[in-house]
Amino acid sequence: MSRPQALDDGTMQSVSPVTAPVLAVKDFSLTFKAGAETNLVESVSFSVSPGKTLCIVGESGCGKSVTSLALMGLLPSPPARIVSGTAEFNGRNLFAMPERARADLRGNEMAMIFQEPMTSLNPAFTVGQQIAEGIMRHRDVSKGEARAEALKMLEWVRIPAPEKRLDAYPHQLSGGMRQRVMIAMALANRPKLLIADEPTTALDVTIQAQILALVRQIQAETGTAMILITHDLGVVAEVADDVAVMYAGRIVESGPVEAIFGDPQHPYTIGLFGSVPSLGRRQGRLATIKGAVPPLDLMPKGCRFAPRCPLADSRCHDEVPPTVPFGDGHSAACWYAPIEQTMEARQ
Amino acid sequence: MSAATAEAPILEARGLVKRFGGRRGLFESSPTVHAVNDVSLQIRRGETFAIVGESGCGKSTLGRLLLRLIEPSEGDVLYEGQSITSLPSRDMRRLRRDLQIIFQDPFASLNPRMTVGDIIAEPIRLHGLARGAAVRARVSELLGIVGLRPEYADRYPHEFSGGQRQRIGIARALAGEPKLIIGDEPVSALDVSIQAQVINLLEDLKERFGLTLVIVAHDLAVIRHMSDRVAVMYLGEIVEMSPVDPLYEKPLHPYTQALLRAIPAPDPKDRVAPQLLQGDVPNPTDLPTGCRFHTRCPHVQPRCAQEHPALEDAGGGRLVACHFWREIGEAEPGIGADDSADTALSRRLEVYRTFQARREAEPSTPDINQQGGQT
Ligand SMILES: Nc1ncnc2c1ncn2[C@@H]1O[C@H](COP(=O)(O)OP(=O)(O)O)[C@@H](O)[C@H]1O
Ligand SMILES: Nc1ncnc2c1ncn2[C@@H]1O[C@H](COP(=O)(O)OP(=O)(O)O)[C@@H](O)[C@H]1O
Ligand code: SF4
Ligand code: SF4
Ligand SMILES: [Mg+2]
Ligand SMILES: [Mg+2]
Repeated sequence: MSRPQALDDGTMQSVSPVTAPVLAVKDFSLTFKAGAETNLVESVSFSVSPGKTLCIVGESGCGKSVTSLALMGLLPSPPARIVSGTAEFNGRNLFAMPERARADLRGNEMAMIFQEPMTSLNPAFTVGQQIAEGIMRHRDVSKGEARAEALKMLEWVRIPAPEKRLDAYPHQLSGGMRQRVMIAMALANRPKLLIADEPTTALDVTIQAQILALVRQIQAETGTAMILITHDLGVVAEVADDVAVMYAGRIVESGPVEAIFGDPQHPYTIGLFGSVPSLGRRQGRLATIKGAVPPLDLMPKGCRFAPRCPLADSRCHDEVPPTVPFGDGHSAACWYAPIEQTMEARQ
Repeated sequence: MSAATAEAPILEARGLVKRFGGRRGLFESSPTVHAVNDVSLQIRRGETFAIVGESGCGKSTLGRLLLRLIEPSEGDVLYEGQSITSLPSRDMRRLRRDLQIIFQDPFASLNPRMTVGDIIAEPIRLHGLARGAAVRARVSELLGIVGLRPEYADRYPHEFSGGQRQRIGIARALAGEPKLIIGDEPVSALDVSIQAQVINLLEDLKERFGLTLVIVAHDLAVIRHMSDRVAVMYLGEIVEMSPVDPLYEKPLHPYTQALLRAIPAPDPKDRVAPQLLQGDVPNPTDLPTGCRFHTRCPHVQPRCAQEHPALEDAGGGRLVACHFWREIGEAEPGIGADDSADTALSRRLEVYRTFQARREAEPSTPDINQQGGQT
C-alpha cells in the first residue's frame, strides 16, 4: 500500500512512525456484568498520533460509544468494569489514574463531542456562559478574559454573528450551529485529543460537509489528535488517516485508510462496503450481511462474525481467529486472511 | 428499471400547497409555516419515484398530502385520474387499501400493546380480506414474505430490532394488497447492513407485487440506487425533477449541484476541498423573495432576489427551476457514470457473494433473523 510520503528531510507533516502516539490503548476489555462469559468490548487495541484522525467504524451496539466513554472516564463503574487493558495518554495510564486527575484532563487535555449537542449543552445557560465556564474551570483567567476567549472560539468555528450568538441559548440555534458551539467548547482549552462520537450523524449532508471541513481545518491548525466514531464509510473516506473496523466489541480490521478502502481483507469489512449503495450507476442488487449483530448473551465463542459470515466454517465457530498482519500497520482478525489466496483454494 | 410510459399516471399532485399555523388569536399569533408550495408532479405506474432534500424542506408533508393523511391548503391529488380530496367514503376505503405508507421509525407507528400478528391482521380484517383461521394464515404468509418467522406473530414490537420492526411495518403495509407504497425515510434509521437488507426487500416486493414506490429520503446514494426519477425539494418547492442518472451525472439546479458536492467522497483517494454550501436552510416561516435558494446560491444574480423562477422543461424528461440553468449547467460536472472498475474490493465482493449464494443454496439455511429477535 502506498501512504502519503514524508519528504526525505522530514520537514513535511510527519507520517513517520516515530511520532509518539497521544493515546495508545492496549488489550482493552470491558463488561457490564460481573462474571459474564463474554466481554462487551474484547481485547481492543489502537493508537492515535498528534494531528492524525483515527476513525472507529462499526454498526450500532458494537461498543464504540462505551469505549470512548471509558477513555474519557465518563462510564459509571459499577455497572461498567474494565476487565483488562491500558490506555496510555501522554505516557500515563488513564485506567490507573485517580478520578480527580481524570477530571482535570476532561474538557482540558482531552475533550469529547457527541452526536446530539444537547447532551453536553445546558439549555439554561447562554452559549457564551458555557464556553467561558469550561475555560475558567481549567485556566486561571478572569470572567472577562474567559468571555473574550469564548468569542474567539465562536469566530474560529465560523459561527455567523458571533457577538450575538454569545448571548444566545442553545435552543435558539440550528442543529449545525449547536454542533459548532460544542466543537468550540471542546476545543477551548486546546486538547491534545478530541473524541468525536458520531458528530455529524444527525445532520444533513450539506451541514455535515461544513462540519467535517471545519474539523479538518482545526486539526491542521492545532495538531490535535482525533478519534472519530462513525458508522458512515463516506465520513471515514473523507477524514480518516487510520481506521479501526469494530464488530460486536472487537476490532476485526485496522490500518491506514488507503489500505482499508483499497485492500479490505476482513469479510465484515467487505460486506459493509457491499451494503453501501454506490453513487455511480446502479450495479445490481446490494450485497448484504445476513442477520444482525448477536446480543451479548448469544455471543459466539469463536469468531464473533461467524454466524453472519458467508465464509465461516467449523473452526471459525469454535476458535477466535488470530490477527493477521499485512504490513504497514494493516491487519485483520480472520482465519482466512489474506482472503483471495485462501478462498481460491476453497472455491 | 421501468421504462417511461405514456400511460396515465397512477398518482398526480396538482398545485399542492400546505401551510401550518398562522392562526391569529386576540393575544397571540403563530407565524405561518410554508411547508409545501405549489407542488405538481406525476407518479408513473411501476416506477420508483424519490423525493430528496434537506430536513424541513417539506418531504414528509408532501408524502402525507399525497395519501390524504393531511388536507392540502390548496391544490388537489388525483389517484387513477380521480380527485382524492372529495372522494365518497366507499372510494376512500379503497384508497386506504391501495395507498400505504411506511415510516422512518416503525416503532412509533406500531401499537406497543398489540402483538405483531394483530398489527398485521388489522388491515386484513378492516378490509374484509380474510376471516377466521384464514387471517392467521395470511399473517404467517406476510411474515414469510418480509423475511420473518411465522412464530413472531405472537410477540410484541419491543421484542424486535430496528430492522425487524421495519419489516413488520412493511408486512402491515402489504396486508391490504396495495398498489403504491410511500416510504418516508424507510431506511434512514437503520445500520448499513440492515439498510441493505431492507432496500433489497423493498425492491423484491416491488417486483413481485408490481408496486409503485415513492421514496422520501435524504441519502443520495440510496436514492441513486433505488429510484427511476427524482424530485429535489428546497423550502417546500420542487427545484429539479429528472430521471436518476442524468440528475447525478449532470445536475442542472445549483441546489442539486450543492447537495451532490456535499456527499463525502466514497474513496479516500478522491478527497478534495469542495466548494461548500454556506449557512443553513432559511426558516420556512420567513421565505426569501424571488428564488428561494438565492440566499445560499453561489450563482446568485440581482434578478434572483426579485423574480421567482418557474419549473421549466430542460429536455429529456427534466424540469428545473432556475433563471440561469443554461449558463450554469454547462460548467458543473456531476458524479461519474461509471465506477465499476476492477478493484481489490470488487474482486473480494465477488468471492463474498459466491460463498453467500452457495450458502443460501444449502438446504438448511438458518433463518436470516436468527440473531435478532431476542426474547
Ligand atoms: N450502562 C450500560 N449497561 C449495560 N449495557 C450497556 C450500558 N451502556 C451500553 N450498554 C450496551 O453496550 C453495547 C454497546 O453500546 P454502544 O457502545 O453504545 O454501541 P455503539 O456506540 O457502537 O452503537 C450495547 O449493546 C448497549 O446495550
Ligand atoms: N403539523 C405541523 N405543524 C406545524 N408545522 C409543521 C407540521 N408538520 C411539519 N411542519 C413544518 O413544515 C416544514 C416541513 O416539514 P416536513 O415536511 O416534516 O419536512 P421534511 O420531511 O422534509 O424534513 C418544517 O418547517 C416543519 O417544522
Ligand atoms: S474467521 Fe471465519 S467467520 Fe470469522 S470472518 Fe474469518 S472466515 Fe468469517
Ligand atoms: S434562480 Fe438564481 S438564486 Fe435561484 S438557483 Fe438559479 S441562479 Fe441560484
Ligand atoms: Mg454510539
Ligand atoms: Mg421528514
